[in-house]
Amino acid sequence: MRSSRKGALLAIVLAVAWTSHAAAQQQTQGFALERFYPSAPGGGWLVMDTLDMRGGFGGVAGVTLGYAHDPLRVATTDGSQHLTVISDQAFADLGFAATYDRFRFYLNLDMPLAVGGNNGTVGAYSFTAPTVNPSATPDVLSDARLGFDARLVGDARSAFRLGAGAQLYVPFTGNPSYYLTDGTYRAMGRVLFAGDVGRFTYAGQVGVHIRPRDDAPTPGGPQGSELLFGVAAGVRIPLPGPPNTSVIVGPEVYGASAFRSFLGTDATALEALLSGRLEGTAEDGRQYRVKLGVGAGLNPHFGEPEWRFVIGIELFDHSTDRDKDTVFDSRDACPDVPGVRTKDPRTNGCPKPPDGDGAPAGNAAPGATEPAKPE
Amino acid sequence: MHRNARWLARALGAALAARILFADAPARAQAGPPAAHEDAAFDFMNFLSQHNLHDINQESWNAYGQVTYISSWHPAFSAPYTNANGSINSLVPNAERSYTGSATLFLGFRLWPGGEGYFVPEAIEEVPFSQLRGIGGAIQNGELQKTGSPQPQLYRARTYLKQTIGFGGDKVEKTSDPMQLAAVVDARRLVITAGNFTILDVFDRNSISGDYRQNLINMAFMTFSSWDFPSDARGYSWGGTAELYWDDWAFRLGRITPPKNPNQLAIDFRLLKFYGDELEIEHDHKILGHSGAVRLVGYHNHVDTGRFADAIAAFEANPAKNAAACTGFNYGSGNADAPDLCWVRKPNDKLGIGLDLEQHITEDIGVFARGMYSDGQTEVDAFNPADRSIAYGLIAKGSAWHRPFDVTGIGSGLSWISSIHAQYLAMGGVDGFVGDGHLRQAAEGVFEVFYSVNLLKALWLTADYQYLWNPGFNADRGPVNIFGTRAHAEF
Repeated sequence: MRSSRKGALLAIVLAVAWTSHAAAQQQTQGFALERFYPSAPGGGWLVMDTLDMRGGFGGVAGVTLGYAHDPLRVATTDGSQHLTVISDQAFADLGFAATYDRFRFYLNLDMPLAVGGNNGTVGAYSFTAPTVNPSATPDVLSDARLGFDARLVGDARSAFRLGAGAQLYVPFTGNPSYYLTDGTYRAMGRVLFAGDVGRFTYAGQVGVHIRPRDDAPTPGGPQGSELLFGVAAGVRIPLPGPPNTSVIVGPEVYGASAFRSFLGTDATALEALLSGRLEGTAEDGRQYRVKLGVGAGLNPHFGEPEWRFVIGIELFDHSTDRDKDTVFDSRDACPDVPGVRTKDPRTNGCPKPPDGDGAPAGNAAPGATEPAKPE
Repeated sequence: MHRNARWLARALGAALAARILFADAPARAQAGPPAAHEDAAFDFMNFLSQHNLHDINQESWNAYGQVTYISSWHPAFSAPYTNANGSINSLVPNAERSYTGSATLFLGFRLWPGGEGYFVPEAIEEVPFSQLRGIGGAIQNGELQKTGSPQPQLYRARTYLKQTIGFGGDKVEKTSDPMQLAAVVDARRLVITAGNFTILDVFDRNSISGDYRQNLINMAFMTFSSWDFPSDARGYSWGGTAELYWDDWAFRLGRITPPKNPNQLAIDFRLLKFYGDELEIEHDHKILGHSGAVRLVGYHNHVDTGRFADAIAAFEANPAKNAAACTGFNYGSGNADAPDLCWVRKPNDKLGIGLDLEQHITEDIGVFARGMYSDGQTEVDAFNPADRSIAYGLIAKGSAWHRPFDVTGIGSGLSWISSIHAQYLAMGGVDGFVGDGHLRQAAEGVFEVFYSVNLLKALWLTADYQYLWNPGFNADRGPVNIFGTRAHAEF
């Protein structure tokens, strides 16, 4: 009987102690962990942007697949406790863009393929790892990204190009516990630059990430708005075959630093990728890029992994109009001679014939009437 | 009151049908919603095409979109009991409002010769009647999903690849539409689709009835109410289909993923272990110059579900195996005097066969009918708890009264449950989203009439009325008058 009372008392004491301990623990919330912000569809590099929009109306479709290992490791300030909250993060990002001349409007939808890790406690904070995989969460999407870029200085191939862009992240998912969203709107404004000098190519960016979410002093979480920065440089190696087919190899270094503790090690993320891409950017026919990158976080912070692997494919096309007659070359029977629009594909875009017989008078399409000889 | 209201609803429907049937023959496109790419309609691809920025007859890509808001309201209705003995699945007899808002992008790309890729993100917000409980096969709004919430949720509705392999024959022109790139293809061809889609993208493509965003809103007209096609809780599946088109014939086969637990979002990808197999044979024809089609649809599910007879036997053998004591996946019933399927789930089979008919009787008026018989031995896995169903109706465009983009229609649907299913519900069991605690078995029925007014060639405003009787297959409840409005825009 006495032993039973002692046992009950002990159980109560333990329960109270556990309750007190539990009350002291603060359960953390998830947030938008990913800091690999892919370049806009058609942007060329994996993160940076070539700013080579050109031609008439065109479109881009791209998919980027990636895996990050240990992208969220948290520790107490004295380093006595560590926890890898997110150990695996894989995603597929689908991007779509419309381009016209020097402008680009785009949409990215990021599909998480896997997010998982470990539950645990670090200091006074308790972390819960999500279980995101195609079976448990078959259709979840991260924040949608809407963006607009414009090249302000230079043309698509010039040695120095300067542009600006804005992005809006729309938090449709609404469940921060997946580590896919902050649960708030976010925005980015960036100044972009790029250029090609012989075989040397480069790109970079400086911008501001307006991020309302500030979890400080929770370790390993967002700390409000950030400065974005990055630079890339590479060498273009022409390949035999169709014109403008080449391989570009070079590093990309990028990161972000919260203004709250600007450039402080506890508020700055820095990552490097060695990227390479095969691209065919000839004006006629569909254009493509196949991109590959491997890298690692240089200054561990949230979103910067132990290592990362990324592969991307872009298909893009745009109409060109060499003779500026508003009939695009793909449908212009006389692409180098200004003409008029007709319903006949044999004459569409060709000069109106002087005798009104409907036959083109310029450099006709194959099979059409022979061009008139010059006087 | 009950009979009077039903008579009035049927009389109104008959009068409207007569008005439509005897109207002057219109001279526009086929019945159903206006084609999105029609020259006179507004949409993004047409806009580009008209400005010579896009080849709308031979597309390498296209992009369409839609936004739809549907609001429904039902006044109080008669019900001698609700959620009896701790059951949880009754339609609440108090007045209720329900709504859905959805926005969708349909993105398509030609990847290589014959190869197409499609990606469809969608956002939806919703509030159903009674947490979507209490209605069997005639849920008043086809947009409603089993996992919806009042907060908008963005999700990936579809991501799939399609490969077309031509075998010759006549040439068929495929127009530019959502999830269809314009192209000229062989009348004899094999089309393989793989990825994440809804089986309704491929099967039961009734051109007159099926799109709750543009014509009849009730789910009874979306497809066969008793077709328990496997899917996640939103209606989408992973898997593959093969379609062989041979002139006027089409043969379709498909295998798709079921949910891990009935009616839930999580998917079981073990396609060799659990699956839904679908089969369809279609023949297209013309009668008096007007097109029509006949489709024979069959399905076989091999999924982890419970048989009603097993649940009853388990409960009778041991009353401790009741609904309130479930330890496995269950719907939360608190009825300790009722059997529950949670005790008997194991790999089970479900079979069904159905017939789908569509026929245009003028260029702008079409009729449709669907009927399906499922075996009715196991619980609902993914769609509706109905075991047998029929639905029929008429859709017309407004050319006869010089409103060619207006759409109107009437339809009626009936669905039944098997005797063992009824016995299980009568004992207080719950099956998915039905189970009032008691049951006086009857066919659940719905009558619907709507009119959509077109504005600006891209926006439709709809007034809708539905008359629902015996909700949840229970003659003790209802009838229910449901008044609805819909705003739908395409771009």
